Amino acid sequence: MQAQEPLTILIAEDSAADRLLLSTIVRRQGHQVLTAANGAEAVETFKEQQPDLVLMDALMPVMDGFEAARQIKALAGEALVPIIFLTSLTESEALARCLEAGGDDFLAKPYNQVILAAKIKAMDRLRRLQATVLQQRDLIARHHDYLLNEQRVAKAVFDKVAHSGCLSAPNIRYLQSPYALFNGDLLLAAYTPAGDMHVMLGDFTGHGLPAAVGAMPLAEVFYGMTAKGYGLTETLREMNAKLKRILPVDMFCCATLLSLSFQSRSVEVWNGGMPDGYLHRMASGERVPLPARHLPLGILSAQAFDDRTDVYPMAVDDRVFLLSDGVIDTCDANDQLFGVERLQQVFAANREPDRLFEDIEQALRDFRGQARDDVSMVEVSLLESAQTHGAAPVYSDSGQSCPLDWSASFEFRGATLRRFNPLPFLLQLLLEVHGLRAQSGALYSVLAELYSNGLEHGVLGLDSSLKRDATGFARYYEMRAARLEALQDGFVRVHLQVQPQGEGGRLTIRVEDSGKGFDVARVMERPVDNVRLSGRGIGLVRQLGRNATWSDQGRSASVEFFWEIEA
Amino acid sequence: MTDPHVDREVLDTLREVMEDGYTELLETFLADSQSRLHELQDSTSAKALSDVAHSFKGSASNMGAVRLAELCQDLESNAKDKSPEALAQLVADIHSEFAEVRPVYESEKHHAHIH
Amino acid sequence: MSVVTEVSPDGHKLTIAVKGRFDFGRHQEFRASYEQLDKKPESIVVDLKEATYLDSSALGMLLLLRDHAGGDESDIRVVNSSSDVKKILAISNFDKLFDIS
Repeated sequence: MQAQEPLTILIAEDSAADRLLLSTIVRRQGHQVLTAANGAEAVETFKEQQPDLVLMDALMPVMDGFEAARQIKALAGEALVPIIFLTSLTESEALARCLEAGGDDFLAKPYNQVILAAKIKAMDRLRRLQATVLQQRDLIARHHDYLLNEQRVAKAVFDKVAHSGCLSAPNIRYLQSPYALFNGDLLLAAYTPAGDMHVMLGDFTGHGLPAAVGAMPLAEVFYGMTAKGYGLTETLREMNAKLKRILPVDMFCCATLLSLSFQSRSVEVWNGGMPDGYLHRMASGERVPLPARHLPLGILSAQAFDDRTDVYPMAVDDRVFLLSDGVIDTCDANDQLFGVERLQQVFAANREPDRLFEDIEQALRDFRGQARDDVSMVEVSLLESAQTHGAAPVYSDSGQSCPLDWSASFEFRGATLRRFNPLPFLLQLLLEVHGLRAQSGALYSVLAELYSNGLEHGVLGLDSSLKRDATGFARYYEMRAARLEALQDGFVRVHLQVQPQGEGGRLTIRVEDSGKGFDVARVMERPVDNVRLSGRGIGLVRQLGRNATWSDQGRSASVEFFWEIEA
Repeated sequence: MTDPHVDREVLDTLREVMEDGYTELLETFLADSQSRLHELQDSTSAKALSDVAHSFKGSASNMGAVRLAELCQDLESNAKDKSPEALAQLVADIHSEFAEVRPVYESEKHHAHIH
Repeated sequence: MSVVTEVSPDGHKLTIAVKGRFDFGRHQEFRASYEQLDKKPESIVVDLKEATYLDSSALGMLLLLRDHAGGDESDIRVVNSSSDVKKILAISNFDKLFDIS
């Protein structure tokens, strides 16, 4: 049995004989004794000496034991100073008063030494327990502060990374808690060199720093590849591979990715594990659900990863709406989920599309009574091309040695056409010529247009008039995927020639394909139609480049770009 | 035969606990008790009587004066119900009981001094 | 006990039943149920008949189990899922990794 540690014990007792007797008993038990003859003295002595334990007579002159106990308890604050009432009170009402006043135990008269020792020991154990609890509470509070600070720092770093995006573009509306990152929610948006927009809404498993830590490498990949002109497919493969490599087995990232093309009036969608997104067609009011067809990122190996996307046509002002599961999973007091049905009701009741967010937030508040902090929503609209603008890319070289007189030819054949997208590489090559950098958007758009025409209409033999309506659109992309998968022969050649000219230079791009060609004259005659979903490509090439010509029965296209060095 | 007035075992324990302080304890008790008796005489209200009785009861029981403690308990509980005559009687009983046990404590003092 | 295991007499089949909320609190128990076996079972059944709720940590635990059981070579069936649980598994497309019923 552990020996009792010596304590400082205050004895408040108005009867001198009793006080003397008790002091002696307590001193004999090894403790230091303080005495007081009434309640007021007891309180004063407590203030000055801070005893560990108090033996308090109930009835005393000047101030009685109940009041003294109350005051001492108040002075002790969070710490436990046990008060043992000395009493020959027998009525339970009187004993109840002792408890109400803050007493922890009683000792009856005549004093029994053995009982007194036992009570002191028990009370002291409680006193030390309370002290430990307070100590640990303070330790936890300090650790919590460190953690909060760490998160603040992590968030600051992440905000710098996230800033390379275009979430403030005029066609994007979003709602996200400032601490979304620590709920694992991620929202990224960036322009491609062609002026298209990639958007990603992601949701990492877990909370706090583990969830946030995966977001940074992911954002770097997203922004880096999008800026270079990589498509959704390549970017997805890279993000999945990265997460698979760096995250533990049980962590992953649900995500929906969009590639919105203002030029071709379409949106490409990939949804891995997120709630349904919705494509809202303004003309018909229809909301097309965009369900999850894939596993979340970071689960499958590179070989097993499914990068197939779905493509939908969009008209000007159509919107794509994405939301995190914080909306659907909001619970009310009875643990009922808000659910998809209620969301559909909000959609149905929504009169002003611009107020969709407010309607949803109001519905959530009505349902639950208070807002959750992990609700993320984003709405991306298709605006007229003129209304969007990309950010100028930043280059790190000085331009002292750039290639001004060169040509390069490439031939992409069969299996390569299936898997490889040469456009980012070709663009990077051309951007080595400083004079071309100001036109990188136009360059990329033209290259992409000529290459995809060569591949889809030429090599794969797809008829673009299929894309005249939504059903045909879907069929077109199905056929594209099927034919590409089966492709064995065929080629697309790209020739690039850069020559100095005057104070600047000239780039000639020629793209050839192994397809059947088309009736060039007939297509040139057609008026440029902004409403139709197909056939705008040729117009675009003529508009963005100079001297666009088609030869070899449409199998070869050529276009030029010029630049002047500014003085 | 056990003494109905003073519990000898209590005295034995006190002697053992107090050691050299036994004499002082006895003297303090005797002095306290005297002043309490005066207070009882001077008390006018039932509450005052009850409070003094309560106090006296406490130290009496600590010192082993069992019958004295009982009388004080009686006074404490019933002070408001008894008639003035009955109260006076009870106070007188307390006086005489104290007179009865006083020599015991005096004798204890004497013995402690010798030891 | 919210995670109950049963091994077939020949040691080839392991059944893990999860009861109540299948969430982060079940992490230790769930791992213990398959990590401590002497003989690696050839097939595993995860019985969710009495599971009331499934969240992303449960999905992570299933991935850990799959990884432990041989990844692509594993044979894991998730059975007796309620409609709520099935919905969650469907959205995450976990039917591409597990046999779910």
